[in-house]
Amino acid sequence: MNIKINKKEYAAKDGETIFVACLRNGIKIPTLCGTKNSHEGVCRICVVENNGRLITSCNTKISEGMEIVTESENISKARRINLELLWADHAGKCVTCKKNQKCELQNLATEQKIENFHFIPRKEELTDRENLDLLKDNRTRVVVDEGNACISRTTELCVECRRCINVCPTKELSFNHRAGDVVVGTPYEKPLDCIFCGQCVKDCPTGALTDKNDLLEIIGQLNDLKKMAVALIDPAIMDSVAFEQEEITSQRKLIATLQSLGFEKVFDLGFGMELALEKMTQVVKNSTKNNLMLSHCPSFNLFIEKYYPQFRKNIIDVTHPDELMAEFIKTEYAKKEKINPEDLMVVSISSCVAKKTPVKSSSPSEISKGGEAYFTGQAGSPMAKFDGVKNLDYVITVRELGWIIRQQKIKFEDIGNADFNSGLAVKNEKIKDIIKAGKTAEMIAEKLKVKYIVADGVPQIKNILRDLDKGRVETKIIEAMVCDGGCVNGGGQARQI
Amino acid sequence: MEKEIKIITKNWGQINPNQIADYIAVGGYISLEKFIKEMTPALALEEIKLSGLCGRGGAGFPTGMKLESVQKEKSKEKYFICNLDESEPGTYKDRSIVDCDPHMLLEGIIIEALIVGACKAFIYVNGNYQKQIAILERVVGQAQEKNFLGEKILGSKYNLEIEIFVGAGAYICGEETALINSIEGNRGEPKLRPPFPTQVGLFGKPTAVNNAETIANIPWIIARGGKKYATIGSKKSPGTKLFIINGSVKNPAVFEAPLGTKLSTLIDEYAGGVQKGKEFWFAQVGGSSGRLVLKKDLNMKLEYDREAKVSLGSGAILVIDKTVDIHELLLSWMSFFRRESCGKCVPCREGTFRLWEIAKRLQDGEISERDVIAIKDILWTLNNTTFCPLGKFAATAFGDAINNFQKEIYRLSK
Repeated sequence: MNIKINKKEYAAKDGETIFVACLRNGIKIPTLCGTKNSHEGVCRICVVENNGRLITSCNTKISEGMEIVTESENISKARRINLELLWADHAGKCVTCKKNQKCELQNLATEQKIENFHFIPRKEELTDRENLDLLKDNRTRVVVDEGNACISRTTELCVECRRCINVCPTKELSFNHRAGDVVVGTPYEKPLDCIFCGQCVKDCPTGALTDKNDLLEIIGQLNDLKKMAVALIDPAIMDSVAFEQEEITSQRKLIATLQSLGFEKVFDLGFGMELALEKMTQVVKNSTKNNLMLSHCPSFNLFIEKYYPQFRKNIIDVTHPDELMAEFIKTEYAKKEKINPEDLMVVSISSCVAKKTPVKSSSPSEISKGGEAYFTGQAGSPMAKFDGVKNLDYVITVRELGWIIRQQKIKFEDIGNADFNSGLAVKNEKIKDIIKAGKTAEMIAEKLKVKYIVADGVPQIKNILRDLDKGRVETKIIEAMVCDGGCVNGGGQARQI
Repeated sequence: MEKEIKIITKNWGQINPNQIADYIAVGGYISLEKFIKEMTPALALEEIKLSGLCGRGGAGFPTGMKLESVQKEKSKEKYFICNLDESEPGTYKDRSIVDCDPHMLLEGIIIEALIVGACKAFIYVNGNYQKQIAILERVVGQAQEKNFLGEKILGSKYNLEIEIFVGAGAYICGEETALINSIEGNRGEPKLRPPFPTQVGLFGKPTAVNNAETIANIPWIIARGGKKYATIGSKKSPGTKLFIINGSVKNPAVFEAPLGTKLSTLIDEYAGGVQKGKEFWFAQVGGSSGRLVLKKDLNMKLEYDREAKVSLGSGAILVIDKTVDIHELLLSWMSFFRRESCGKCVPCREGTFRLWEIAKRLQDGEISERDVIAIKDILWTLNNTTFCPLGKFAATAFGDAINNFQKEIYRLSK
């Protein structure tokens, strides 16, 4: 099929949208609501002209004889007005926003030179008393949700693009109310209580959905000379760290950057992965039961807890590698290096959002006792009260690392390359494959010569659990990862814009 | 042109709408019997196509073409929906049909559903029409008893089930894809077209959605033939239409008149002219989303015509006299659209909200230069970039008012 784009002939594939056809030929069209997998056509910014008529490029399929124009007076007018309408609620808020400089709306507003303020902001955070004035003033209700450990949500900065609604694997979010009162929210505006895979945060174009953490506190501790800051680098983040900070092009550069941020020690999480794999192998080996579920994906644990509680007892009680490695650092490593564990701050830089949920530290004694220590009670649930020594102090995502870097105004020209600190070296580099779905089970199965099943993504997981419920499946180990493809596509990764 | 021709209103006030026997006594369900005993669906469709009947909901799409595209689909499961979500302000023609002659509507629904081969028909009723819902439930029960509905209708091979689906009264659910979403249990929001509902409609099956008034014409067409129907009214859109005339007229009510009737005739002869002591200013044709017609254009013919400057819409005519405060009118239109926008796309959600804000400021006389520019911009984006026609509707009347009565509107502005 042949179409004309900006007066030039192009060959286009049957069934593809104008947006995709343009992108493939190197013509970039701005959009705010579209992602790789969903095109709702709600932002009306990706408009193009076809034979003089404005149409949205993201959801209009190409047809023979189309004459597409991607830049014209009308197109820029449409983009300008629609952006201005959205920008009205954002203007002046950027400086305090966590997504500053990483906000797609801000980028678009800069690109399209939106400088006018024709409209008065109407979304402000309101307390109950102020709600009365709401009717007099044209203010809309703003929903702020800080009721969990992983995701901060505020509709104040929301542009209602529906990316989060579309990407959510468990359909937690939807539109509430109508027209100008629309807010994206949970049913009955209950606090978000999901599996915290974080895909919504990754896709959010603005600061409406952000990672929850006290980053200023981390910066404070980094600057505290008494504290010894230890960073753990998850191999999965290497895939996306350059999207967040383009200057970080290699692992060695990343290590040097972390050191200049104030991390005294930087270790490879591969060490923790080896610990976790070893423990999981041991538990599987010692167990007489079948259908054991590996527990290194915290989102999956929450998924079972919330939707399939009948399988709670199938989960083997080995926590994620980050926690195990932090525990090792605070006990054996600290002893060896003669450091007071209380002076240590262990921060894991991860591609996972769900790891922010507090975990009950697994005591190594229980596992060595025979391995039948099963997942119990409230552990792992976001509201669980934490008792005992906190091994892993903070989990931060790639996005949050970027925020700290920007906040600390790191000068990249002064930063060289560095290697991991010695002491906690990875024995076999192959272990890092466990960030990909299926590899953990494969490695354990290879060692123990047992059968296994792998599921990645919620739809697959649901299928397997349904089969399991009906007794159609019988295997030794089941590995499930909530994010498609495993941690590589984790919710904590930075998004390529 | 025959003035006294009555198709939809012929039984109004003559029969007891609650008694199926009354309707049968005046020739009711004869068309259904004729369809079942003498016609095939293809033949009946041919009659409807001959009649030139077009949709009375507002868009004026030829009914025959719509039915044909559903009929030719090969799916085993098809649906027919009667759109009774009437929520255009000042429009109450469908409600009047249910109040006065519900069996005629039901007969039309049954015939059309059988023509397209639907296994189930829905009546989507506006949730505010509580009384009408009760009437519909009663008449469906009566028709079932007489075997006009249900299994093996009148001893034939046809089966049909009718469900009355009560909507929540949202304006946007009158749009057929939003209506389908609503029945499916989703948010009442328009869907992207194509695919059209005639191919992928309710629950993914081919679906025909018709306005109640359109359906009420069907028994007449089946009984007397499409050719005869085509001679009534205007050439472009034959038949009669229910006009609802409100505002500053002597007797505001629903009137049946042939399409192509002049607006001045409707106001002066049907509705008794403008009230005493008041002076005609302008008329709004087609409900809240309708365009404004000034005195000099009163001679225009009202018909469904793609090229016409003024679209007939639902047939509501609001007559405004010079005592009306234009600011109040602007605010009432914008309050309506600000409330009824579904919130899906940016220009409509944000634009209607901002126009409403500005309309409030206009009323207070606090409008600034900034607002004047903003009005232009918003009206433009509503007209050109919204997802569904609601955005355009919201801009129509407001834009017309700004164009025609600039002096009056900005009168108070500093």
